[in-house]
Amino acid sequence: MTAARDLSVDFCGVKFKNPFMLASSPVSNTGEMVGRAFDAGWAGVAFKTIATGDTKIIHPSPRMHGYNAGDKKLLGLQNVEQVSDRSLKDNLADVTNLKKEWPEHVVMASIMGFSNKEWSDLAKACTDAGADILELNFSCPHMTVEGSGYKVGQANELITRFTETVKKATNIPVVAKMTPNITDMNEPAMFAKKGGADGISAINTIRGISEVGINDWIPRPNVGGKGAISGYSGPAIKPVGLRFIAEMAQNKELGLPLSGIGGIETWVDALEYILVGAATVQVTTGIIHYGYKIVEDMIEGLQDYMADKNIKKVSDLIGKALPNLCDTNKFDLKRQGLAEYDLTRCVGCGQCYTVCQDAGGQALKWNSIDRRPDLDEDKCLSCMICSFVCPVDGMITYREKR
Amino acid sequence: MEKGFDLGLAVAEANRCLLCHDAPCSKGCPADTDPATFIRKLKFKNIKGAIRTIKNNNTLGASCGALCPSANLCEKECSATGLDKPVRIAKIQRFLIEHSWNIAFNPIEKLCASREKVAVVGAGPAGLSCAAELAKNGYQVTIFEEKPEAGGVLRYGVPEHRLSKDFLAKELEDLNKLGVEFKCGIKIKGSDAAEKLFNEGYKAVFFAPGLWKAVKFKNAAAEGLFSSTDFLSGLRDKKSEELKKYIKDKNVAVIGGGSVAIDCAESALKFGAKDVYIAYRRSYAQMPAEKDELIGALEAGVHILPLNKPADYIIDNGKITGIKLIRTKLGDKDSSGRRSPVEIKDSEWILEANIIIEAIGNEVSEDVPLKENLTTADKNCCKTSIKGVFAGGDIVRGPSLVVNAVKDGKAAAESIKKYLGGKEPA
Repeated sequence: MTAARDLSVDFCGVKFKNPFMLASSPVSNTGEMVGRAFDAGWAGVAFKTIATGDTKIIHPSPRMHGYNAGDKKLLGLQNVEQVSDRSLKDNLADVTNLKKEWPEHVVMASIMGFSNKEWSDLAKACTDAGADILELNFSCPHMTVEGSGYKVGQANELITRFTETVKKATNIPVVAKMTPNITDMNEPAMFAKKGGADGISAINTIRGISEVGINDWIPRPNVGGKGAISGYSGPAIKPVGLRFIAEMAQNKELGLPLSGIGGIETWVDALEYILVGAATVQVTTGIIHYGYKIVEDMIEGLQDYMADKNIKKVSDLIGKALPNLCDTNKFDLKRQGLAEYDLTRCVGCGQCYTVCQDAGGQALKWNSIDRRPDLDEDKCLSCMICSFVCPVDGMITYREKR
Repeated sequence: MEKGFDLGLAVAEANRCLLCHDAPCSKGCPADTDPATFIRKLKFKNIKGAIRTIKNNNTLGASCGALCPSANLCEKECSATGLDKPVRIAKIQRFLIEHSWNIAFNPIEKLCASREKVAVVGAGPAGLSCAAELAKNGYQVTIFEEKPEAGGVLRYGVPEHRLSKDFLAKELEDLNKLGVEFKCGIKIKGSDAAEKLFNEGYKAVFFAPGLWKAVKFKNAAAEGLFSSTDFLSGLRDKKSEELKKYIKDKNVAVIGGGSVAIDCAESALKFGAKDVYIAYRRSYAQMPAEKDELIGALEAGVHILPLNKPADYIIDNGKITGIKLIRTKLGDKDSSGRRSPVEIKDSEWILEANIIIEAIGNEVSEDVPLKENLTTADKNCCKTSIKGVFAGGDIVRGPSLVVNAVKDGKAAAESIKKYLGGKEPA
């Protein structure tokens, strides 16, 4: 037994019991759902994006499509989900009720307006309803109207203008949620800061096509015979999310707290985001795949990790990997290594041999009698692809040459 | 039949495959079926290609998938065993062929037409695979079968729950597609059997009549005494309903420890026998049946009595009423390298039984034509001492696996092609 560690963390001046939040998405659609998530252990929610309700939202059918890779289901998820299709009144009532029933939990209301006035009205309404933070949705990946969704996130002046508008209308912290469908996120993030943003959430989904029907020639999801390029999420995009968070965390001029999003399913994923600079993390696809219960393992896993490493608080972990992140021209090329084989554990499949022959340095010979690889150390490129395909965990390791 | 894989399960199992270099599983199949290739093809979504690989190698791919003791063959070699357990190759193979039926995909085709006429005697696995190989290469093949329908041991030697009639019918469609002619209910006999066929215009003959005479434990005749061949084939022929009624509520004792004994015992249970026993003179671990089969039989409710040697049958008024067994213990190793059963003095006991099934092996029947020539055929190329006459399957190698019969059928086809010179059709 390890003692339960305090996982509380500060984000934009608001205290979270732990860094784990629901992202603004179908998993945070109603107060009833969010209440169950809070009971399961989630510390906060980015409540499903609230709009004025002046335009009726009709969701496409079907609205999602799963991407499976080999035996891994939902490696990715594509969606054409819109903002909340519920009435403004119902959403605001849910925010109020959640804060009443779960005062220790954080409600960050995600909002999206189509004009200065709408942004202002929504900010006021959500603040009055009791939200702790506002998250400005500058990043919905499949909006078609100019000046909305990711098209705001790609237009720096609009980011500043809408952020300023919201800041004027509220006294609670304001977080800008950014789109990854750009080259450098630091640029729009700085424009958000200029408008007064108190923090940044990233990433929203990446525009993509998860599958193309090979018999009907219709990209998925097949919405009445048509597909669309739209938001792609899940474990497949985690490396991209980590990159954007790390780049913003390295930007000393920005200096805003970050909420990491993208492909998080376990405490390890969450911790990686924290180590490159996130204070909180948000989850959708992991919940779509497994349900709210995964937070139990995120909490317990992070607590045990902190106990093992004797780390007192989550904030001590934020950005801890950043000093070790550099450009490739900073590498010490004098340090070289090779693949080391523990052949006592080898099961004789020979996949290492195949990939070394066809993609590596042809450094392995194959002993077909014993069914074992035989490494010529001088030829090993230390590319380590053999270790990636080896089915025996830890049998092939990297060793630095001395 | 036991439910096979569906596409999802088959792909999940294929994903466990380590895609070995120099794959050992593919070296473990007597019939040269190539699991490493068809599993890789399935894994990379090349499903028709996977089916093609099996069908090109083995015309009885589904039957082998269902019947092969794969744990002792391809799966025994599987590298994934080093991690946890072997890939279930046989189930993947069976799935792929069943899938080919479902999607109506059949890659088998005649490569050319109208070569010489060839006769095949016996429509069991050896005869069927020889016929298919020859027909693919354009030979005009006729199969002569003594029993009313084709299949041999696939139909009359295993019970319906292991290989159903419908399943077999689909498996045999390839032969129909290739234009193989079946003449069932015709017994080829006599010392001039080959000569007569040559006179009818057949240029070569492949004999694969199988082994259908049961080894008897005791020369007795009584109501309720069956050989395994009579019992199993009786459950598959026209009078099967009568036999099934007869089995109901009876106590059954099976003698033997192999796969056939298990088949008899499980069949008896399925058709309502009250209690079914398998008496075996050696230990449980020495039973030749596959471990999965043995466990399956135990779980189905068969009582296995190892270390019990049959001594006599109890017959009353011409009817079996019991079997006298003697308890044994394991003594020293015998010539087979196994510890031999030694009788325990004064340990006889009577097991009440109305039916006794002898499942202790099959031998060559007296009425097999050219007996001496067939049983001495070359085990590799299937040639006999008579020109143009070839033989394979159990008649040559003794009781063996379906997959070995398939191997012989393919080898015989190669030899026959060579013998006939492989001339291009006129």
